[in-house]
Amino acid sequence: MADFKYIRPDNLPEALDFLWDNGQDTAIIAGGTDVMIDVKSGKLDKKYLLDISRLDELKGIELNGRDLCVGSGVTLSEIYTSALLASNALALQKSAVNFAARQIRNIATIGGNVAHSSPCGDTVPSLLLHDAIALVADKKGIQHIPMEQMATSAYMSSLTPQQIIVKFILTPYQDGYADFQKIGRRKELAISRMSMAAFVKKDSTGRISFLKLALGACTPVPCSMGAVEAFLTGKVPTRELLWEAGGLLAERMIEITGNRSSTIYKKPAVQGLFMRILFPMVGS
Amino acid sequence: MKSEYNSIGKNIQRRDIVEKLTGQANFCADIALKDALSLKVLRSSRHHAVIDKIDVSDALKIPGVVNVFTAADIPGKNLMGIINKDQPLLAHDKVRSLADPVALVAAQTDEIARQAIKVINVTYTDLEPIFDIEAALAPGAPKIHKKGNTLFTRRIKKGDAGTAFETCHTIIEKKYMTHAVEHNYIEPDAGAGYVDEDGTLVIYASTQNPHYDHKEVQGFLGLKDDQVRIIQAATGGGFGSKLDLNVQGFIGLALYHLKQPVRYVYTREESYLATAKRHPFTIHMKTGADKNGKLKAIHIRAYCNTGAYGSYGIAVASRSAVHGTGPYEIDHVDIECACIYTNQPFCGAMRGFGAPQMAFAHESQMDLLAKKLGMDPMEIRMLNGFKKGSINGTGQQLIDSVGYPECLEKIMPYYEEALTNWVTEKTTPFTKRGIGIGGMWYGIGNTGVQNPSTARIELDQNGRVILYTGCADIGQGSSTILTQVAGEVLGIAPEAIQLVVGDTKFTTNAGATSASRQTYISGNAVKDAAEQLARVLLTEGANKLKVSKTALSFGDHSLQIAGHPERSVAFDWLAKRIHEKGVSLSWQGYFDPETIPLDLETGQGSPYATYAFACHLALVEVDVLTGQVSVKKIVAAHDVGRAIHPENVIGQICGGVAMGVGFALMEAFEFGKTLSMKDYHIPTCADMPEVIPIIVESVEPTGPFGAKGVGEPALIPTAPAILNAVSHALGKRLYSLPADLESVLQASIDSGHFGPEEKM
Amino acid sequence: MTFEINGQEHTLDIPADITALEVIRSLLGLTGTKEGCGIGECGACTIVVDGKSVNSCLMLGAQLDGTKVLTVEGLATEASLAPLQEQFMKNHGVQCGFCTPGILMSTHALLEENPDPDTEEISKALAGNLCRCTGYQQIFASVKAAATASRDDRITGGKNG
Repeated sequence: MADFKYIRPDNLPEALDFLWDNGQDTAIIAGGTDVMIDVKSGKLDKKYLLDISRLDELKGIELNGRDLCVGSGVTLSEIYTSALLASNALALQKSAVNFAARQIRNIATIGGNVAHSSPCGDTVPSLLLHDAIALVADKKGIQHIPMEQMATSAYMSSLTPQQIIVKFILTPYQDGYADFQKIGRRKELAISRMSMAAFVKKDSTGRISFLKLALGACTPVPCSMGAVEAFLTGKVPTRELLWEAGGLLAERMIEITGNRSSTIYKKPAVQGLFMRILFPMVGS
Repeated sequence: MKSEYNSIGKNIQRRDIVEKLTGQANFCADIALKDALSLKVLRSSRHHAVIDKIDVSDALKIPGVVNVFTAADIPGKNLMGIINKDQPLLAHDKVRSLADPVALVAAQTDEIARQAIKVINVTYTDLEPIFDIEAALAPGAPKIHKKGNTLFTRRIKKGDAGTAFETCHTIIEKKYMTHAVEHNYIEPDAGAGYVDEDGTLVIYASTQNPHYDHKEVQGFLGLKDDQVRIIQAATGGGFGSKLDLNVQGFIGLALYHLKQPVRYVYTREESYLATAKRHPFTIHMKTGADKNGKLKAIHIRAYCNTGAYGSYGIAVASRSAVHGTGPYEIDHVDIECACIYTNQPFCGAMRGFGAPQMAFAHESQMDLLAKKLGMDPMEIRMLNGFKKGSINGTGQQLIDSVGYPECLEKIMPYYEEALTNWVTEKTTPFTKRGIGIGGMWYGIGNTGVQNPSTARIELDQNGRVILYTGCADIGQGSSTILTQVAGEVLGIAPEAIQLVVGDTKFTTNAGATSASRQTYISGNAVKDAAEQLARVLLTEGANKLKVSKTALSFGDHSLQIAGHPERSVAFDWLAKRIHEKGVSLSWQGYFDPETIPLDLETGQGSPYATYAFACHLALVEVDVLTGQVSVKKIVAAHDVGRAIHPENVIGQICGGVAMGVGFALMEAFEFGKTLSMKDYHIPTCADMPEVIPIIVESVEPTGPFGAKGVGEPALIPTAPAILNAVSHALGKRLYSLPADLESVLQASIDSGHFGPEEKM
Repeated sequence: MTFEINGQEHTLDIPADITALEVIRSLLGLTGTKEGCGIGECGACTIVVDGKSVNSCLMLGAQLDGTKVLTVEGLATEASLAPLQEQFMKNHGVQCGFCTPGILMSTHALLEENPDPDTEEISKALAGNLCRCTGYQQIFASVKAAATASRDDRITGGKNG
């Protein structure tokens, strides 16, 4: 076990004060589902464990005009049951559906999922999809960090030790087609082998007028798939076209990761999962 | 129809249910012993090495470390193993795998014990490690044990397979591979113990075989029978792994030296590393049939990797060889199955003892033959399946209770319905449906060796019946079943019987809870004891009521004249009367199934007294774009002889199907990579299909009220049925387990299903 | 730290590094809650905290401060089993029993939130509770029977409403 002091501040300013002085020596616990593994294995080499799970400033899901705000302390269960997210960020809501298990969803937070910077974090593709910006605070002020810049490498977040993610600001999407799917080794309680989020709009002629796409568990840090989006925009989706776009997506992934032993599966699976997610766009 | 029985066939309340529902059941980790020391083992850091020196001096300096033991501290024989003794409790001269225990720490807390093992210095001289069968069998390969790397080979030879193949119309020859599998009971292994006032070492164990544990611990410590007592604690599943010792030996050794309470609770990670796995198999199978699909000859060469120690490896090789034909009549048989040592952590018993691995192969072969011959998979099984009078590969004629044809018949309507309607229904895009059949047979009890059980029944002077059994109930419900057997014989409610289970101070050996043997063998031992008591009661009752014994029947703790309940005599009166006559109020029951040992060269004999049979139908959907497989339904028909507790039988079937789904699709234990439950997937409830259990009762005349067994049979047909269904869906067969995302997607690509257009 | 467990308030001084599971099992001696994996993968340690199921092995002991906790020991009264436990008994939802406390707690939280769950909803609530014995079918039957029993009870205005 680890040797540390447990601190639970009453409000965000208190937490930021504490981190300003002790950030280097502090680990942050929100839901705890990741940090507790380190606590138990004795890998946590910090003097303090700062519990931010009860900070009201980090809670809540709201729609403020064109800003859909999701507090970093919102649990996956809250995302799962949020009607506001179901109508404005369906992919994000769906990403909570198969996230670990109910017991984990009840305490794990979206902020924790992002800060942990696991390439398999299930909320990350949907946040990318919605051009999410993380509102990050330290004692001296607030910074807006786009999702693409939240991780520097696998399991390494770009946050400084003094910072806390306060909330995510998403671009809401209504009236279009949105989906999130993941592939795991079993149907529940599985780490993503691969996940994908998509949002599509078609115009009156059946052409794709808007497409956003994000991959999970495929690249070490979140990456834009702009080339594939551009390829499909303005075109009428057909089986063949989607298949070709899926192939492009797989190539784009391999450009980033290089060929690994897992590529044998992931290359076709990316193409396949893309087809499965986008197929409802054909002919409808 | 009114049942002829009062207790048999009734879904009575499980024995330990209230404790388990309220959190009061004491599993080993729950047992609070005052001032118990924590134990922890240092395991080898080498795959294969000579131990030059073990220096524990730094560990002993840590405050709170009470002592550190090595092989030198074992006063008796430092070897264990239920079939062949090749496994030291603590390594003495060399280590053969990363799981090998080298030193045992006793400390005041778990944390101190963990620190202590980090500072024990072991000096090794490395030896060349061997991980696979080819390397182990290569000429000049380093010997892992003195006798060499082949532990055992079972040969089954009948007729002349070589010549018979020449006359076969159709031959299928394939290689099949299966993976190591972890039992993954939810309770990590644990134990606790203390020394009681008279010096007896009392050990609580999470075990499938308390009386075997007793013998082994005695052996390590050079103690007499009554100086060691094993008490089976509530046991959170076993599935074969808790047939080996887990912590009993360590607890015994610490108690022997320290005379102070100790406990040892494995973390899940240690449980994964230290306990047995299902043997990975490589199977070369060649099956030949005539033009009508009648099987003529089979040739099998199979190898199972037992890792560093034998454990139950000999039984696995032996049983898998016997079961290699599948539940089919074949005149010409040439089977060899070898069990090979390597430097992987050891493999042992797991639900089915090699039969599940073999069933994957023989059921794939049946489908391949059917396809090549243009036959229906059900038809070829019907044609060749065992029936009454059939002779199996060991030359044994199956006389009674051969329910395989009936299992197939029960499956048939579901099969036809699925084939005509379900498979052809429109599905979601890029989803292919398939159905598959898996058949199996399973010999009840150990293979061609004696495996008796005993039981004792006592009548106290208040007329109450007490049943003592060494049979470990590990969740499957044997305690409940045994009271049903005794209750049926004595005409009393099973719930009224007091029960003493798995405590070597009071119970006698019932053998292992394995090989699906307890209902049949211990059930018969209990029946024997109960019948002895019944005879004495009837004699005394007839004497008292002045009628012949045949005129008497059992009432509630009494005997009465049939049709005249007012003319009765109560058990308590009879108990006193019997006692006064100087007759002991205790009866010992015994049963050993009749077997004939298998000839070492030909494998001919009579390995089991009876067999269970089963057939599963699997309905699956395969996502051709990602390789995901979803099992939608399993119809499971099982010939159990007689279902003593039908809901328990259904529980075994559903649980077996779950384990079969895991074996088929997701479970692969990778030595060195699978470290925690993050790395190993067993099915969740969401992965489970609807299961339709069908109980077939082909009564076994030698069974207690006709019963056989179901524990292992429940698992065996599931994976073959699923794999056959996946092949049916894709038109492409998989030859290794598990059929994971990677291999299924590859099969989809190879079969041309992976693409923008959907292929029919 | 002060919290309520099974209706009883406790004030404890605990080390910072111990889990909620250790508080419950080692300090309070409530050993009905089990440890199966220690990393939130099996659900044997499930407890209900403020109405929600959580894995107590992944919760810091200190985080229990101010909460209301229910463990398996808090379900039955001295006089009788809770209706949920009754249904697990009647429907043979228990084999080895090691996963049972966790399954009961997940089910309890589910039925409090949704008294009439369908199979899919039960599956969502119980997927984090692994069972290696039963294949889950009799567990699902038990959960459904418990929901039905409590619904019938509500309709007839029975004692468990």
